[in-house]
Amino acid sequence: MISSTLLPYLAPELMLIVGAMILLLLEAFLSLSARQVAAAALGSVAIVAVFTLCFDSSPILFWGNTCKWDGSAKFFHLFFLAVAALVIWMGDEVQEPVPHGGGEFVILPLFTTAGLMLLASANDFMLLFIALELVTISFYILVAYQRRSIIALEAGVKYLILGGLSSAFLVMGVAYIFGLSGSTRFDLIAQYLHTQSLLSSGVGFGLLLVLTGIGFKIAMVPFHSWAPDVYEGAPNSITAFLSVGSKAGGLIILLRVVLGLFDFPSSASIWIPFLTIGAILSLLLGNLAAIPQRNLKRLLGYSSIGHSGFILVAVIGASASLTGSYMPGADTTTGQLAVSVYLVTYLLATFTAFIVLAILERRLPGLEIHHLAGLSQRSPLLAAAFALSLISLAGVPPLSGFIAKWYVVLVAWNQGLYTLLGFVIFAAVAALYYYLGPIKAMYWSEPLDETPIRLNRVTSAVLILMIALLIGTGFFIQSISGLVNGSTLAQNGSISAPVAVALVQH
Amino acid sequence: MVLLALLLIPLAAILFILAGAPAQRTAGFATALNLVITLGLLLTYPATPGTFAFTLDCPWTTLPGLPPIHFHLGVDGISLPLVFLTAIVSFAAIAISPATIRRSSEYYCYLLFMSLGAMGAFVSLDLFFFYIFHEFALIPTFLLIGIWGTQNRQFAAFQVTLYLMAGSLILLAGLVALVMALPVADRTFDIPTLQNYFTQHPLAVSQQTIIFPFLLVGFGILVGLVPFHSWAPPGYASAPPAAAMLHAGILKKFAIYGLIRVAVPMLHDGFEAWRPLLLTLLVGNFVYAGFVTLAQKELPTMIGFSSIMHMGYLFLGIACWNIIGVTGVVILMVAHGLSAALLFGLSGEVTHRSGENRFTELGGLAQRAPLLAVLFSFASMASMGVPGLANFAGELMVFFASYSSVFSKFDIGVSIGVGFAAIAIYGTVITAIYQLRAIKTVFYGPMPARYEPRAAVGEAVAAPGMTDVSSLVEYVPYVLLIVASLVIGFMPFLLIHIVEPSVSLLPYMPLQK
Repeated sequence: MISSTLLPYLAPELMLIVGAMILLLLEAFLSLSARQVAAAALGSVAIVAVFTLCFDSSPILFWGNTCKWDGSAKFFHLFFLAVAALVIWMGDEVQEPVPHGGGEFVILPLFTTAGLMLLASANDFMLLFIALELVTISFYILVAYQRRSIIALEAGVKYLILGGLSSAFLVMGVAYIFGLSGSTRFDLIAQYLHTQSLLSSGVGFGLLLVLTGIGFKIAMVPFHSWAPDVYEGAPNSITAFLSVGSKAGGLIILLRVVLGLFDFPSSASIWIPFLTIGAILSLLLGNLAAIPQRNLKRLLGYSSIGHSGFILVAVIGASASLTGSYMPGADTTTGQLAVSVYLVTYLLATFTAFIVLAILERRLPGLEIHHLAGLSQRSPLLAAAFALSLISLAGVPPLSGFIAKWYVVLVAWNQGLYTLLGFVIFAAVAALYYYLGPIKAMYWSEPLDETPIRLNRVTSAVLILMIALLIGTGFFIQSISGLVNGSTLAQNGSISAPVAVALVQH
Repeated sequence: MVLLALLLIPLAAILFILAGAPAQRTAGFATALNLVITLGLLLTYPATPGTFAFTLDCPWTTLPGLPPIHFHLGVDGISLPLVFLTAIVSFAAIAISPATIRRSSEYYCYLLFMSLGAMGAFVSLDLFFFYIFHEFALIPTFLLIGIWGTQNRQFAAFQVTLYLMAGSLILLAGLVALVMALPVADRTFDIPTLQNYFTQHPLAVSQQTIIFPFLLVGFGILVGLVPFHSWAPPGYASAPPAAAMLHAGILKKFAIYGLIRVAVPMLHDGFEAWRPLLLTLLVGNFVYAGFVTLAQKELPTMIGFSSIMHMGYLFLGIACWNIIGVTGVVILMVAHGLSAALLFGLSGEVTHRSGENRFTELGGLAQRAPLLAVLFSFASMASMGVPGLANFAGELMVFFASYSSVFSKFDIGVSIGVGFAAIAIYGTVITAIYQLRAIKTVFYGPMPARYEPRAAVGEAVAAPGMTDVSSLVEYVPYVLLIVASLVIGFMPFLLIHIVEPSVSLLPYMPLQK
């Protein structure tokens, strides 16, 4: 069944994994410095990115129909590669050097990224699960990498237990769906579901279990409790990776499952209320619980829960079965684009924030808001970068976060989600409140310590680039439309099965 | 292109300041240049009805799922006076700021950002840019109040920012709803196109009635419509004078401008349906805010409340929606912008030079600062609507408009418009009371001894006491604002010739004046 001619579509993942393995061996047998390993890892990410860019995004099923390439797969591949590059660079250059085995610390993210990329093109629950495990297992190691630190260990254990639990939920749900539909492949499950006029309760229960598993991954309330603790304990680059990569990974599964598979009225009556409640709770709890936080990483942890709420509104808005009647012509693409736009802007702002935190935490671990006092005088660039990233997360124009919030408001209004829109507005105002707290500390408060913070050239250049992107994607919105254009799921109907089969047998 | 220059000049100034140019001079030069350009625009404005002048229209982007966004600039008789107001108040605000203020480059950059945001909002003819230019000012305002503010600056900064953000988001929801109410093929952000479209194909009344309150509340929060006003007085009292001048003088006018340009013409049935509420609330601005102003014990807070009270006239003119009323609103926006900027700037001088803002502790300052007293009296007269100053022209037009409006009639055959005119005229009486009392308590009567200059005697150090605005640089900005107010006050037709043709072209404008 495996078609050699279609393997190119799997090549990005394979190249990354093979590259990572070679690097592991090289690192073990030739005494490479951590810096050389990081350079090699960045190089392989760059090569894979160039390779991925060469694919067009016309939908295609391959590898025994277990994988699907479409606009959203391509978008997420590139998204995860960008995340990987930033994580590797941060791990090597910006933050406290890890005490032992620096090499693995920059090699493991390659495996995680390969897993995330595979998630983005999976068309089969088995493959999806394997990809997800590749992601989570490498995360278990990365989260607890500073193993002499108590908080890191606590974070590692929490993430291990809750990660395992969520995987168990997911697998259990998949088992139910497989048991009743007779297949793990999405296209076959979809065919089965189309023949059923009513959703059987077993499949419905399976769907709920799958959604619970995904809820853990994207830190949706009430499955969020791991996020603040794990964010606090993990090294900064890994926190950013979790916050952006793991969330995006969970979201791509969510898009593939609920929009690709279960988007018709009988099952939408299960997942739409489920996600609506999750979105409302995430918006409220995430943004309100962030207000009393003093530790910056915990604050960003809660805010990340809140952002899941905003993104979920867009996911719900992308459903074709919102109005209660199945309308094939309903506007589903805007909602999906809103998710892509949100993720891009979230990536930019979150990484900018964590780069700054990583630089500051080298001097003072366990950074709290009042430690930022007077940062604008100690290092204008750091203060500006952190302030702009927070303002962007808050969604104030002309920064890129505004475009994301705007899309969410637009989708919510367009699809008649008025209750959710009310919560979105409330949450956005609450969010601005706690994002202003660190800005206040940086710009108004008198510095406790006047020593200027010096940055090396590369770090300054990256920070300036991130600032430029934050402003650029917000004001010159052409750039963001270029990034997300075509990043939507292929409609099931748009790949005709015989063609796909013919291609596979080729 | 010339409008683009108005935006690029402050931007360039910001970049120069960041690169190390002397902050106040660069900022002052940029705003002066803008002022000269705007005066040129006023003189060359063609006044051919029905068109926007000095337009620039280039496609900006097409985002999937959204109507195309254009970078569309242009002014007509309604926005041109506001562009002029922005230029002159920005120049004055920067000119009165102390050159030696701490962290001066940041300070002037934030002021320029506020000015840029207001200017951008007034020259944009695309809803997207109209909205985001206004939001440019949000964070700079927060920082200006927080870093250079006085009194309870921390609370005020947070309150202003969060309240304005909430207002902006409600407004955003309303604007999105407005555009999305169109059929997909006709969706656009272009304001003139939208106006034409809605005139020809008005939305269903039920739809308009739902969308209009979003715009009314959103704009209402931004402008301080009672009961959404509570952010403004403490915010303005704590802000550095220049920031209060820019915000109360210009940025707040964005919301009134939005009502005239977007909300009322595009959702006229919604406006009709909600007019009783607007009329009720604006009485709150006159009566409630008026009496609260009377009760204030501190100079800056009093001026903050008075600027809320004066919004009542603007709302009344809009509620009338006839040519004389809306023309009056535009004139009054300029007039109030000038007088509010003057009052905030001068009250800043008083509190800064005397080190005191409570009426009970101030007194007799005219002995030491005669020039300041004269300037403050002029500003107060402008605010009271004394004939000869610009406010009078605008207020009078609003009174006429209200008098001739028949909102509905009582049984005895009297239109309630007459009643609103009476309330509005009563508002000028309240203004006269608190402004005259402020002049009296601050500048006349016995002067506390600490304002006398003191030589160093024994242990006591020398103190200059109360000082006057002495050098040319210190008082020229105020004189400039007063002269502008006088010119418009004596020759209101200069502006009316520009404003009226554009107002008469607004949709749903009754034909007789």
